[in-house]
Amino acid sequence: MVEFKDVSVTYSSGVDALNKINLKINDGDFAFVVGPSGAGKSTLIKLVLKEIDATSGEVIVNGFNLRKLRRGKVPALRRTIGVVFQDFRLIPTMTVYENVAFVLRVIDAPAKYIRSRVPYVINLVGLSDKSKSYPTELSGGEQQRVALARALVNDPKLIIADEPTGNIDPALSYEIVGLLKGINECGTTILMVTHEHELVRYFGGRIININSGSIAFDEVIGGTNENK
Amino acid sequence: MKISSMRYLVHQGFKGIWKNRMMSFASFCIMLVSLLMVGISVLLAININRIIGGIEDKSEVVVQIADNSTQQQIDDLKMKIGGLPNVNTIEFYSKEQAWESMVKDMSKEEQDLFQYADDNFLPDTFRVTVHDIQKMTETTTQIDTFENVASTRSPTEFTDTLISIRRILGIISGAIVVALIVVCLIIISNTTRASVFARRKEINIMKYVGAKNSFIRIPFFIEGMVVGLLAAAGALGLTKFAYEGVYSIFNNDFKLWSVLGVSNLYSFEDLFLYVTIAYAAAGALIGAIGTSFSTGKHLNV
Repeated sequence: MVEFKDVSVTYSSGVDALNKINLKINDGDFAFVVGPSGAGKSTLIKLVLKEIDATSGEVIVNGFNLRKLRRGKVPALRRTIGVVFQDFRLIPTMTVYENVAFVLRVIDAPAKYIRSRVPYVINLVGLSDKSKSYPTELSGGEQQRVALARALVNDPKLIIADEPTGNIDPALSYEIVGLLKGINECGTTILMVTHEHELVRYFGGRIININSGSIAFDEVIGGTNENK
Repeated sequence: MKISSMRYLVHQGFKGIWKNRMMSFASFCIMLVSLLMVGISVLLAININRIIGGIEDKSEVVVQIADNSTQQQIDDLKMKIGGLPNVNTIEFYSKEQAWESMVKDMSKEEQDLFQYADDNFLPDTFRVTVHDIQKMTETTTQIDTFENVASTRSPTEFTDTLISIRRILGIISGAIVVALIVVCLIIISNTTRASVFARRKEINIMKYVGAKNSFIRIPFFIEGMVVGLLAAAGALGLTKFAYEGVYSIFNNDFKLWSVLGVSNLYSFEDLFLYVTIAYAAAGALIGAIGTSFSTGKHLNV
């Protein structure tokens, strides 16, 4: 669960990125966050990951009150969140398997569990035959699927996808969002930031439109794919 | 942390060296050169100190015993001198030994002339070495006051000069070593910082998936330590090679230097253990701490 209560963010440059935002994303929700560049979408993500702190207001993520969360406890928060970035952010010196397994090693998971869980998740995203490849040997779409597997492997409560389709072919974009939808159906909350209105229209669901640091629109719409 | 996780992190440290081999090699070279410079400077300073110490040890007070002193009086004087706290060794040198030694040092013509001399005008002497050369004048004055001492001779001016040289060389070599250490630390820290900077994205990703700082630091720590140890091993080999070369030149080809106490140079075997420990400790510590400090800068994500 993600909750914003009267959250404002003003950067040191004086720019007001978010202005008294109130937002609640319940467990199991799938929400698209849309809006023009500079609207405050990235600030929203940074707040959830506690990369930055709110200037005022309260942010609660998966039971953690981020205002009260100390630096040393940030890893515990991040272990409940899976993140998928637009630029994939895979570790180039690690294979697909190692990139995914790394998340489990971080949480001190038993070696036996790692050996069974990692191939399972890699298989879910359809990359079983590429598990020994390095990120540079994969296409953009494949790299994003690895990033998705990495976000999934820890069975997080929440997955944040920050423009996950921004660097891949339009056709593959539907595939990635389809995968996210599938993950959501298993109970994981998904917060996806995107610029691609076509995708949003196609899949439908909860749409949060941010404009000039405020929520301009927060509604559930039906997807065009449901009509087909 | 579980043993399996620790094993994984150590393994990652070793893998990191190979995967980032260019930066590892740069760190290795910088550390090797730095350790060599500092190590050789220290060895030079130690040996110069020892050479001067050797010369100092050879400086002695010559005590001329009054003519017609009885054996009992000579023995008493020896006891008295030997009882002085600063006296290290005391050796009796008879007038006959002195005569023999003097004639031996003469040219053939002089020796021919002196063989007809029937009176040995040289005195019996004690040759006294001291513990602390800086107190030589004081000791000489004390000996002067004893009965049956005709006169004393000590190279006080020479020893004063030696003391000054030793002090100045000590300050200069100390300053050079400290300056080298500072310069090397700056260079090494810049190299490790560059090496870590090249991998800042990797650190960033680790932070996003919830890695604790210690989990990120340990492989870098291991990596830095191993590179440091390899550099120390390289520096040890090169130091041994260079040192033994110079040592053999001085020891075999410049026998004359032994007059100045160069024979007092430490052999590499004498120093091997200390040099090994110093290089290994410096290499491992600088590598490990330098790298993990540089990592810290990128951990605040």
